[in-house]
Amino acid sequence: MHGRRGKRKDWTKLIYMSSLSPADILRDISNASARGEQGMSLDDEDFFTVVSSSGPQEQEEFDQTKEALRAEDLKVWEDEEMLNSIRSLFITGESAE
Amino acid sequence: MAQAGNVLHFSGHHYLRNRLVLSILSGKAVRIDKIRSDDKNPGLRDYEVSLLRLLERVTNGTVIEISVTGTAILLKPGIIAGGSVTHECPLSRSIGYFLEPVIMLAPFAKKPLHLTLRGITTDDRDLSADLFRTVTLPYLQMFGISEGLELRIKKRGSPPLGGGEVQFLCPVVKQVKTLNFVEPGRIKRIRGISHAVRVSPQFSNRMIEAARSVLNRYIPDIYLYSDVYKGEDSGKSPGYALSLLAESSTGAMHCAEATSQPGVPPEDIALLASRALLEEIRRGGCVDRKHQSLVLLMMVLGSEDVGRCRMGEPTARTIQFLRDVKDFFGTSFKIFPADPADESSSDLLFSAYGVGYVNANRSLA
Repeated sequence: MHGRRGKRKDWTKLIYMSSLSPADILRDISNASARGEQGMSLDDEDFFTVVSSSGPQEQEEFDQTKEALRAEDLKVWEDEEMLNSIRSLFITGESAE
Repeated sequence: MAQAGNVLHFSGHHYLRNRLVLSILSGKAVRIDKIRSDDKNPGLRDYEVSLLRLLERVTNGTVIEISVTGTAILLKPGIIAGGSVTHECPLSRSIGYFLEPVIMLAPFAKKPLHLTLRGITTDDRDLSADLFRTVTLPYLQMFGISEGLELRIKKRGSPPLGGGEVQFLCPVVKQVKTLNFVEPGRIKRIRGISHAVRVSPQFSNRMIEAARSVLNRYIPDIYLYSDVYKGEDSGKSPGYALSLLAESSTGAMHCAEATSQPGVPPEDIALLASRALLEEIRRGGCVDRKHQSLVLLMMVLGSEDVGRCRMGEPTARTIQFLRDVKDFFGTSFKIFPADPADESSSDLLFSAYGVGYVNANRSLA
């Protein structure tokens, strides 16, 4: 049961019925997917999850619409395989079967 | 509509803009305290005060009280008036910061809004005037806000000194249409605006060339426009930026942009923008992440019917916005996976019953 939870979030519940901050909700998701990549053999221990306390640095957070672009985060797009992975989202790409 | 004693209460300076907008639209007063009360420089920033002044100008009868220390405000909303307004934006934020909340209010004004904003037209925090014109306005059109909707970039202004000027014209509507947008389609074209002011005009072309090196592989229909502003019209500071948007066969849009940074060649700025665009496309949905809140708001205000929209995962801003919307309007969205069968898809379907918001301010002249 707990293993499943990482895959699909119940967004309605997270947003309206939890007191988690927006950042925590999103962080939880990225943690969950990171765990998923490391292998699901840890499933039994999923019950106790280490809450990463490395919160964001307490610097002035602006009320801004655009997220800061970080060259490091976008490095993945230098990879040919990554570039090809989204071809099906374009009209010229072969349709996803 | 507003009842005495009906005051919603929030803390902190975060999400200030959205809360002020929701207050004015819903007619419910809002009190926000603990505004940077622990900061070594407590209270409202100059741009927040400026925004309050602007909201006061586009409305009629709005009462804003700011505490002596500037750490608490109380806003009792009046009616949205519209009309002709000119506002000097402080140089601490770009005009996008001010336009974003105004665009949520303007369609429900008494008279069509004719707003002139002066300041910085493109920066790295808020939507630039270019994205506003090419992406934000088409989103409004989906809700039936179209005739006479226009943004003119009269002058460009780069940070730090700005000097730009835009004119925003917004018609008034009686009610917004219910949205039903669940088919993301496939990207059929990419458009872009590249501009360079007070630097070599060649920079603009160099950005276009670099962006093409990434984007050309996908589709042939790519048109990147080099927008030239000369002399007075190019503002007071040097700068350049590339704004990109991808449009799908069903009208779904994704956008990204990057602005000049000291010591970074234009090619790298263009690559940054192009890759950010690919990232947006990969995240899927029918609506760009920067516009989730705007679209969700219009869905809430829509006629009394179920509106549906497919989007990628919500951003932190969107999550908080959904919570705030519930506080002001009592509307909550149903959010569920768009493709329950496909494990790899993270797309979500947002649906809500519109409150049937009717523009009672509209004059029938």
